[in-house]
Amino acid sequence: MGDAVASVTTRARTIDADFALIGHQESWRAAADVLAVLRGPERTPLLDDEIKDILPWIPPRAVCHVDVGSIVGTKARGLYIDSFIPPDRLEAAYVHENIARVRGAAACAIEAGAKIVSLGGFSSILIEGNFDQLPDRHDTVFTTGNTLTVAFIVQGIQKMCALENRNIRKSTVLIVGATGDVGSGCARCLAPLVRRVLLSARKVERLRRLAAELEANGVQVEIETDLQRFSAEADVVICAASLASPSPLLGRIAPNALVCDAGYPKNLSPCAQMLGATVFFGGLGQITGGMRFAPDFHGILNRHPFPDVVHGCLLEGMALALEHRFEPFSQGRGFITPERVDEMETIAARHGIYLAPLYNADGPVEDALMVERMSASAKGQVELPHLLFEIGWEAPGKFGN
Amino acid sequence: MEPPTSVNCSAIECTSLSTSAPIWLDILAQAMTGELLAAMNYTSLSEMCEDPAEIADALEHAQGEQGHAAAFAAEGRKIGVDVTNNVDAKHWKRLRDAFLRCITERDFIGCLIVQEIMLESFAVASYSRVGKVAPGSLGGTFARIAAEEEDHVDHAMAILRAERARDAQRFDDKVYRLHLDVMTTLTQMLAKECKDGHCEVCHASCVKPSLFEVSLSAAELRGASLQQYLKTLDMLGIPGEVTLRWVTQLPV
Repeated sequence: MGDAVASVTTRARTIDADFALIGHQESWRAAADVLAVLRGPERTPLLDDEIKDILPWIPPRAVCHVDVGSIVGTKARGLYIDSFIPPDRLEAAYVHENIARVRGAAACAIEAGAKIVSLGGFSSILIEGNFDQLPDRHDTVFTTGNTLTVAFIVQGIQKMCALENRNIRKSTVLIVGATGDVGSGCARCLAPLVRRVLLSARKVERLRRLAAELEANGVQVEIETDLQRFSAEADVVICAASLASPSPLLGRIAPNALVCDAGYPKNLSPCAQMLGATVFFGGLGQITGGMRFAPDFHGILNRHPFPDVVHGCLLEGMALALEHRFEPFSQGRGFITPERVDEMETIAARHGIYLAPLYNADGPVEDALMVERMSASAKGQVELPHLLFEIGWEAPGKFGN
Repeated sequence: MEPPTSVNCSAIECTSLSTSAPIWLDILAQAMTGELLAAMNYTSLSEMCEDPAEIADALEHAQGEQGHAAAFAAEGRKIGVDVTNNVDAKHWKRLRDAFLRCITERDFIGCLIVQEIMLESFAVASYSRVGKVAPGSLGGTFARIAAEEEDHVDHAMAILRAERARDAQRFDDKVYRLHLDVMTTLTQMLAKECKDGHCEVCHASCVKPSLFEVSLSAAELRGASLQQYLKTLDMLGIPGEVTLRWVTQLPV
């Protein structure tokens, strides 16, 4: 059951897209919402068991058009292509089926004439070491989008440290899933900014190689395959592991740790015990030049508490399309450097793509922190002007009126 | 009551099939009815055609479908059951009526869409699934006929692609109109439960709840059939986001 993989057929191109985004639904709830939009409001929504019967059989295909705008006035036309990987089939047992689905989605993007294709988080993990498994590409290039994801994770960590009045230079950073493309990119970017780096992953040889690379630049690094052995030592944690589903990954954690869950699917289960820790979802950006879905999937495909928030990996393709740089910016594993991250951040910012407001499963974290700090300020523990400067607050009237 | 065994039946095959024979009987009855209906459709098509080559082609197809029906009947005899058919059963009759409307309108392209794209998609996918789980020659026959039906689709594809190239919007509108009629009926046939009464093909009660006993399910047959249908529409060049909407709007 479920061999719903589009055969890679050659057909006449029907659409000319600047970019395509390849993804899938992270949960059955999200899948139900997508199918509900497709069915239309006049039809009864499908029951959960009906969705589970249907979705695994849907071959990869375009779901909607996505048009984006830049703050400098350029526009790009795109497509969202769903690989229809069932949310309960992300485990290793389905890897071949899932690679075939991503291949099928890639074929749809090529057929649509997309000039650049961004692979969503899980699709990237499947394909990052197997780009040769993608169909013949003609004029289409593929990017994993991981460079912009890394940029937003690092920006998020820096912003949260500023909000919480933490000195990042004194921090011990733990990266879970450190040898992955995103994890190793974060390690390279954060290593020069922190006191000590702890790397955790399943494969010790890869960990040793990454540690040697960082140590050569004078960074204090420790590695461990058993996460629990040093999770309590870190005050900043990035979870970027490839997990099939959220788990109580961090059994032991330092009180008041800052935890960035950058996994897709999310690494951390809501039931994970992290008393005193501040958790936020990392790797997300916001496009401020406008984003339009047809049919209207706003809030369905981008299920975030803020408008026009998208995963960094998908935003990378949009940014490159707006920049007219149709090149495979992020490919393979382990090539993300601080210089490349800077370059991608600059491209994204030029088109109004910035770090998204930070949030977690309970809602926005910045508002909550702001209230907390305001309260501290009222008690005289923090100086208000210093606090406002830290969070980038602008005085009213600065931009007109 | 034990079904009577055929003299042609090997001892091993009959033993393994004896308990599931009533299920295979209903599966064969549905398949045989579908094949006879396809034969009737091709015969009707031959009567509408003017080009001798097209007439010969349609009649050859009709003969092929009758051969398939006979093969299913023969498989029934091997497991000791008498496979009957009912082309007037409510769902099948609705499908036949949809095809006849195309004949009345002398709509050759409509006929091909109904028979080759819609009905054959369901035949190819469901026979393939049955072919994988049915034991012995029964499975072999389903798999062989699935492959032959797939050839039909390939044959029609070139004609339909050329037609779409002339006017894609008009072609897609026609497919959608026929989709609403034919695919609604086909998905009702393969719904998990027959909500509007007996299908008039199964011999006793509905076979669907028993399909798990032969490693099948109505959901699997429906899913595989719709997947095949979507892939066939892809090959025609109809945009995937459009056909996805069509299929998700079908009754469950």
